[in-house]
Amino acid sequence: MSSILEAKDDLPKFRAEIRAWLADAVPADWKARMARATNEEYIAGQRWWMAERRKVGLAVPHWPAEYGGAGLTLQHLIVIAGEMARADAPLTRMFTISLIHLPGTLFPHGTEAQKRRYLAGVAKGDVWCQGFSEPNSGSDLASLRCRAVRDGDRYVINGQKIWSSYSMYADHCILLTRTDPDAQKHRGISYFIMDMRAPGVEVRPIRQANGRAEFGEIFLTNVSIPAENMIGRENNGWRVAQATLASERGVIAFEGAERQCYEIEAFYRKALASNAAWLNDDQLRREFMGFLAEMQAGRRMLRRVLAESETPEASASVLPSLVKLSATVLRQRICSFMTRIAGIEGQDFALLAEEPFGSPMFDFLSAFSGTIAGGTNEIQRNIVAERGLGMPRI
Amino acid sequence: MTIPTEIDPTTLEALRESVAGVLTEQCGSTALHAFIDGKTALDRDLWAQAASLGWLGFGIAEQYDGLGLGLHGLGILHTELGRQAAPGPYVATLCAGQAIAAGGTEAVRKAWLPRIAAGEIRAAIPVSLNDNQRIRQSAGLTLSNAGVSGELRCLGSADAAFLLAPAGDVWVIVELAGAAGANTAPVAMWDRTRETIDVRLRDAKPAAILEDAAGVATALLQAMTLAIAADSAGAARSITERTIAYMKTRQQFGQPIAGFQALKHRAADLATRLAVMDELVAHALHRATMGAVDAEIWTSLAKAETTEHFVFIATDCVQLHGGVGYTWEYDPHIYLKRARLNEILAMANPALRDHAAAALADTTRAGHSALELGL
Repeated sequence: MSSILEAKDDLPKFRAEIRAWLADAVPADWKARMARATNEEYIAGQRWWMAERRKVGLAVPHWPAEYGGAGLTLQHLIVIAGEMARADAPLTRMFTISLIHLPGTLFPHGTEAQKRRYLAGVAKGDVWCQGFSEPNSGSDLASLRCRAVRDGDRYVINGQKIWSSYSMYADHCILLTRTDPDAQKHRGISYFIMDMRAPGVEVRPIRQANGRAEFGEIFLTNVSIPAENMIGRENNGWRVAQATLASERGVIAFEGAERQCYEIEAFYRKALASNAAWLNDDQLRREFMGFLAEMQAGRRMLRRVLAESETPEASASVLPSLVKLSATVLRQRICSFMTRIAGIEGQDFALLAEEPFGSPMFDFLSAFSGTIAGGTNEIQRNIVAERGLGMPRI
Repeated sequence: MTIPTEIDPTTLEALRESVAGVLTEQCGSTALHAFIDGKTALDRDLWAQAASLGWLGFGIAEQYDGLGLGLHGLGILHTELGRQAAPGPYVATLCAGQAIAAGGTEAVRKAWLPRIAAGEIRAAIPVSLNDNQRIRQSAGLTLSNAGVSGELRCLGSADAAFLLAPAGDVWVIVELAGAAGANTAPVAMWDRTRETIDVRLRDAKPAAILEDAAGVATALLQAMTLAIAADSAGAARSITERTIAYMKTRQQFGQPIAGFQALKHRAADLATRLAVMDELVAHALHRATMGAVDAEIWTSLAKAETTEHFVFIATDCVQLHGGVGYTWEYDPHIYLKRARLNEILAMANPALRDHAAAALADTTRAGHSALELGL
């Protein structure tokens, strides 16, 4: 067991151990290297960092010990996320579905055999993707049409999935399909584990407005899935999917907000030291102060989301939607500000930058992943209005 | 004097419920409209009740007959007063108490704080403090051997017992009620839930001179920014709730207008602003209570941000009501007018953001981070 996990019963020591490990393990030049990286190098970089985490027991530390984890609590995850942000550690977004959504689904709904087999794979580095959205089923997810037809002890799948992050690198997919086209739309859905290397699975990357291709379109033609790969009962997939959607309890958003806070601080220190022009512009300086205020408010809200995430009220709370609305729009405003103050140099084509906000147009364009993904902000507004404010659904 | 640390949240929640209960009962929409139309003395009645319940002593230490509930106690009081758009000179009097406590000598504190805590006297303070010049030139009052002279627009009621204001290099307390050389004239404002007065002094004898001008000015600005931010957060939430309740009853095209998605999305955006406002107030109260080096940054920004959110929200609430939102009979205009006054009180928002920016630069150069949450 690593010295980090040995300290798990003493949270301050646990934090200190992680901090010490990160000081050693995070290469000073990783951002510079990623800024010049090809897509393949970018992916390789994520796998490398996940392997480093695994060495010290920080790949799946939040899972129960019997499935290869260390049984850490939410408090530990908050510490880990906070320290990763503080150290500006490399990101491992490619593993989000593997580490959070898959276990969040299998623990409540999976069979013992599914848990043993697939969680062990994740612990070794398997990449999973999510096959939920379809070209005609985005916000109205329950209208999905990808068909699964029973054929003996297997199901045959035909259809199309979209917006599936890192699907071109994935080993497995958590897949929503329609098994009963005659039932009411929420009641005819079944949930499967699909091998991404099965015959009939084709993935095409989708290039985003920011120049990168992180998600893909999945085409499924007569793909055969063993019946034992169904999670939950037939036609009960919608309920299982709720566990998937609820599995992220705010830690990712928390880490994102903390990273942004450090970036803003570093950016501000540099501006102050160099007496940047925008600091002397009344309008821009005041605008920036407004961002700081809203950023602090958002960080406080996220701490409340985390605090309430383990209470019975969490499932009915609209606080996560309010945070998403506030934080993603703020992110857009900050990146818009950075683009404006960068002048013509800010229009030079560049992807990831070494310096915080060193590639403002990339950041500005990437900010749409916040306002659109994970339930568009329009859907979040519906949730706030209907569940939070009690405005009627008509 | 001990600096109050964070007060137990359960105590504060009980306090909030008790204040809210009284105000909801005494200062509902009907009572408020009657007061605005000059039919009642709701402001006096509420003040008497506030005094008897000890509200005016929330922020005053126990040794001066207050309840010692600190800035969090004041935050709750101002939030709840804002919720009901309660009339009365609370901001002026309670903030004067904070400034006297911070910058007054022991003799001055003993002379004034117990009377404020008991609700015996009401204060007048400058409506606005100018940054950088807030000690020397903002007031337009001068102090000579003959006394204090000059004119000043003040937040406070026509029957204010005293004025706390800068005069030359110091701050002075000048008695207003029946004192020689002191004259006050009420100013009719759009916001009828608060009062401003023009104070005219000619060789008025100061009742006290506060030499620690910077200490008084800083404490008064902090108290005013916190009070107005809390008032704005409470008031904005209340008018939003009233507006959404109205939208659920108002039928058009055969359905409640609350069912229209265009309006739902507007309401959700208001709710998002309200959540941000609450956190801005909480953060400013927290940093100020802790005496953090960055306190001034967050109190200044809290006032600037929350008052602008309040103006936006109150404006949208008029619009979301449709025709009746534009009438004197409904509530939105009361809150909109309160919002517009809040926006300009204490210090203009651009100046407050500059004030926060200067403090941020100082804090950063001194090697501190201003972004720690301490949570």
